[in-house]
Amino acid sequence: MSEDSNPAATPTPCQDIQGDGRWMSLHNRFVSDSKGKEPDVLFVGDSLVQLLHEFEVWRKLFSPLHALNFGVGGDATQHVLWRLTNGELDYISPKVVVLWVGTNNHGNTPEQICGGIMAIINVIHQKLPHAHTLVLGLLPRGKSPNPLRERNASVNALVQAEVASLSHVSYLDMDPGFIHSDGSIAHQDMYDYLHLTPQAYQRVCEPLHKRIKSLLDKHAP
Amino acid sequence: MNPAAQPLPVQDVQGDARWISQHERFVQECKDAEPDVLFIGDSMIQLMQQHEVWRDLFSPLHALNFGLAGDTTCNVLWRIQNGELQNIQPKVVVLWVGTNNHQHTAEQVSGGVTAITQILISQLPRAKIIVLVLPHTHTQTRTCTLTHTHTLTHTHTHAHSHTLTHAHTHTLTCTHTHSHAHTHALRLSVCCSQGLLPRGEHQNPLREKNAEVNELLRSLVPQLGPAQFLDVSAEFVQSDGSISKHDMFDFLHLTAAGYQTLSKPLHDLLLQTLEETTAAK
Repeated sequence: MSEDSNPAATPTPCQDIQGDGRWMSLHNRFVSDSKGKEPDVLFVGDSLVQLLHEFEVWRKLFSPLHALNFGVGGDATQHVLWRLTNGELDYISPKVVVLWVGTNNHGNTPEQICGGIMAIINVIHQKLPHAHTLVLGLLPRGKSPNPLRERNASVNALVQAEVASLSHVSYLDMDPGFIHSDGSIAHQDMYDYLHLTPQAYQRVCEPLHKRIKSLLDKHAP
Repeated sequence: MNPAAQPLPVQDVQGDARWISQHERFVQECKDAEPDVLFIGDSMIQLMQQHEVWRDLFSPLHALNFGLAGDTTCNVLWRIQNGELQNIQPKVVVLWVGTNNHQHTAEQVSGGVTAITQILISQLPRAKIIVLVLPHTHTQTRTCTLTHTHTLTHTHTHAHSHTLTHAHTHTLTCTHTHSHAHTHALRLSVCCSQGLLPRGEHQNPLREKNAEVNELLRSLVPQLGPAQFLDVSAEFVQSDGSISKHDMFDFLHLTAAGYQTLSKPLHDLLLQTLEETTAAK
């Protein structure tokens, strides 16, 4: 799918409809923050990445890995693509980039969302030819079964297939089993049926931490 | 008719019905719980429950959290009129909403907040209401004892701020005719407290609008009866007018540290208010 026909793969900044310019402020802060840092790991994506930074799990598991967090709430693939194309990768050389985005791509098909994720992976590879990208699977959402769960599952299947043949990318399923036998997601895991509670972050981050560590070990000379 | 005071549910445009699911959960919680304190509002309230400060300071007060990210005054109005106040008799309600009312003017937003407060008071006649307000513009705290009075009559066509310096003593009563609320900094006097937290990296129109909301609510809220206005905003704005990322990670939402800063005075006020309601019995 070419970039021209896929809005999810066309770098697009977020429009400031609210009037306080916060999205651009955040982007500018990430660019300037990156100028003096030497992270080994960069996390980039939407609110699931951003909020991760606000809980204890970040300090315990990811700070020690020298990680930076460039998550922005509400971002869809085209927003992350714009940010990475416009400075957020220009001053750093992380060994691993953790990418978690796609759940906010409302109105896009799974194929378009996968195309957006692949476009991001390509930009990362162009700018950081020696980095490994770890793509995280989209989580289920909503209290009960709904079309977005199916959409996210389809995206995951498509992405998994696309990256299978790429040596500089790997995929990690992030769902430890949030959906109960009755099809429901508990608010103890997702307080608004989308965002993770601190205890749910603990659960999903253990395997993530392990995988990042093994990637860093492989990267070492 | 004030559009910010019209009850409205959130439409499910995304497709996973999360708003109504959360509302239904809150209605169910009303059936099971006996809270002494009810927190209600937008993401500023909702996120508080995910931090340790909730477990440390507010759970022990038997508090319920009915915060819903993205909510405007219209949405909170709808929720409290559709089950979220049923079967509960909290002694205190903490209300924090208004920053998401992007389509509305400052007067409309403050009208929405007062409408919610009035309903809370009528549905929960024994409760006290604490209104937290919105991220605003002023970087100086304007404190004072009233040292003079002066009558001002203004006609304004748009919001503005101005500084008045008075050389002599007199009483300040303000009479205004204006189409928009305005804020003014009086160097010598006038007691003002600000409520809503600042938003955005630097000065911007939303901060100014929220400051106007605060100005209106500061005088309107206490007039409603058992309600008061809590201002902690001064703690968040640095001397250059910016907000630290250590307090607000995205120039709007509070970090764990930001919630700690907010929660101390709020918790103190809650303890005091709860004591008063117990003593009054």
